[in-house]
Amino acid sequence: MRDMGSRFGLFLLAVSILWAPVLSDLVISKVDRRIDLTSQIARITSTLKVENEGSDLVTEVLLAFPDVQAEHLAHVAATSSVGKGGKGKAKGSSTSYAVQPVDPKGMPASLTFYSVTLPKGLGKGESVTFDVLAVLTHTLKPFPEKITQADIQLLVFQDTAHYLSPYPVKAQTLSVKLPDARIESYTRVDNTKNVGSEIKYGPYENLPPFSYSPIVVHFESNQPFAVAEELVREIEISHWGNVQVTEHYKFVHGGAQSKGEFSRLDYQARPHVRGQYAIRRLVAKLPPRAHSVYYRDEIGNISTSNLWSDSKKTELEIEPRYPVIGGWKTAFTIGYGLPLHDFLFQSDGKRLIDITFGCPMNEVVINTLIVKVVLPEGSGDISVSAPFPLKESKETKFSHLDIAGRPVVVLEKTNAVPEHNQKFQVYYKFNSLAMLMEPLMLISGFFFLFVAGIVCMHVDLSISKSSASYLAKLQWDEVQATIQQIQHIINRGLVIHDKLEASLRDLSRTGDIQACKAARKAADGSLKELSKEIKPLLAFLQSSQQAAHILPKVEELVTKERDLEERLMAKHSTIVDCYEKKYGGKEIENRVASQLQKITALRKEVDDLLEFIDEI
Amino acid sequence: MAPKPIASPVPDAWYPTLAVVMLSLGLLFTASFFIYEATSSRKSRSLAKELITGTVASVFLGFGSLFLLLASGVYV
Repeated sequence: MRDMGSRFGLFLLAVSILWAPVLSDLVISKVDRRIDLTSQIARITSTLKVENEGSDLVTEVLLAFPDVQAEHLAHVAATSSVGKGGKGKAKGSSTSYAVQPVDPKGMPASLTFYSVTLPKGLGKGESVTFDVLAVLTHTLKPFPEKITQADIQLLVFQDTAHYLSPYPVKAQTLSVKLPDARIESYTRVDNTKNVGSEIKYGPYENLPPFSYSPIVVHFESNQPFAVAEELVREIEISHWGNVQVTEHYKFVHGGAQSKGEFSRLDYQARPHVRGQYAIRRLVAKLPPRAHSVYYRDEIGNISTSNLWSDSKKTELEIEPRYPVIGGWKTAFTIGYGLPLHDFLFQSDGKRLIDITFGCPMNEVVINTLIVKVVLPEGSGDISVSAPFPLKESKETKFSHLDIAGRPVVVLEKTNAVPEHNQKFQVYYKFNSLAMLMEPLMLISGFFFLFVAGIVCMHVDLSISKSSASYLAKLQWDEVQATIQQIQHIINRGLVIHDKLEASLRDLSRTGDIQACKAARKAADGSLKELSKEIKPLLAFLQSSQQAAHILPKVEELVTKERDLEERLMAKHSTIVDCYEKKYGGKEIENRVASQLQKITALRKEVDDLLEFIDEI
Repeated sequence: MAPKPIASPVPDAWYPTLAVVMLSLGLLFTASFFIYEATSSRKSRSLAKELITGTVASVFLGFGSLFLLLASGVYV
């Protein structure tokens, strides 16, 4: 490995001599590089002070990465901290510059270039200071590649002690931060110091462009290498108040491969010596107010999980079914619901969902991250805005109560790191009335059920329309209908009787004889009409054979009802008479007492008969 | 124009109550529909009455089952 690095360096040196004239008159007056290797992700932060020694205005600063690094480069960002206060104090006032991959002419082929665009430009003699953060994945190689459960994991990292740049560098330093104080070996060049878990290179001064001095650091790291080979995040929006997120993980431990057998007993008994580089637990930081959180895999629920929540975040700690050691895989799914109003917004007639892109877990490298945003059925005019380039495609998903399917925006990103946990937006148009589609579907479903019921009851399904039994049934239906009509008429009659009684009560209260007589007249009229209506019905029943067994009861009912009616009328006229002759209350009571008894008895009989007929 | 958050047209907390109320009303209307179907004879049955009872019952059952789905976490 060292051999290869030095050969590469020689090559670069040759190239740098050949390409001595630089493309612009920029000079890097100071570089401080800090390489953080405490996790599986290598983060290189370089603070650059760039000076323009030429006379032309310069707007672009080139960053060079050797191809071996460039293929592992997950994220590059350039930010300038405006405030010159202490370290990290000026976080609030930092502005970020645009960084794009470029392919400038006349540069060595084995380098990949990125250009930082300075918005204001750099005039003659001016200088600018900014930070460049480069995030590399899969650059920490385990060495040895295979270890047993009891071994410790050793990693190798390669870089250059001199800052690789197309510009001359006046002064520079490099510090490499390691997770543990134990260092197996590291390349010693001029001015190399080892302080605890940090290795310092430099300062070096006045180096020409494309200086390269390979270094290799071999160190102990028991950080679990949680690599998601594939993560599919599905974000489903329901306008009924929920954003459902489902995340399907396919994890692998990307560190040193495991060799020999794995003893669960040893692991349980001495977890810090046996298998200390295993993935034990993962912590997912979910948004606040997440609800209905689940953690499962293909077999079912995995119970080894914990959830904490407060007003700022929800924390889900999950443990895989088994400790995942080097080269082992595990696959699981987590899901949670989020309140709609935290993520969905309305702006300029369009709706937009504003949600984080990456994986909610700490220090996870994702080889392929697929984010699917499932929009409600009927959305259109879809557009995506994201802070970094993505591969975009569309598909359709069928879910609950869908006809045409829901439009899905599929966003794909390879080599994703926690730095990609930024918000992205999907804009779409949606008519609120389309929300009524789902209830309308349910309603029409139930309605068809009722219509089927109605049709069943109305359709005549008999095969032979002339058979005796069929005809008998038809007749019986008619008889039934007639009897129902009669019942109905008698019930109306009984209501009129009640009205008459009410008029009598009014009379006793107000003494208004005229009103009472008018009521009597009206009642007479309607009762006569009712008896007229009932006649043809009775005649039909008499003529029908089917009704033979029920006819006596019906006739009895009709006569009893008529009797009741007559008695009631008689009572009514008696009372009205008494009032006209101004008899006392006692006298009236005496006169109607006998009638009253009979009326009550008759009413009861009529009611009984009605009930009896009803039951047929 | 600043983005304005969008919430559900009906507050989530009402879903269980709405589901119970609307489903019970819907079932009552369904019961009355089938009682009418069973008790009235073929001649005296009125199609309009059947359709009206059926429609009212299906509206209540439809919304009731929607809210039941939403209350149980199946966000349609």
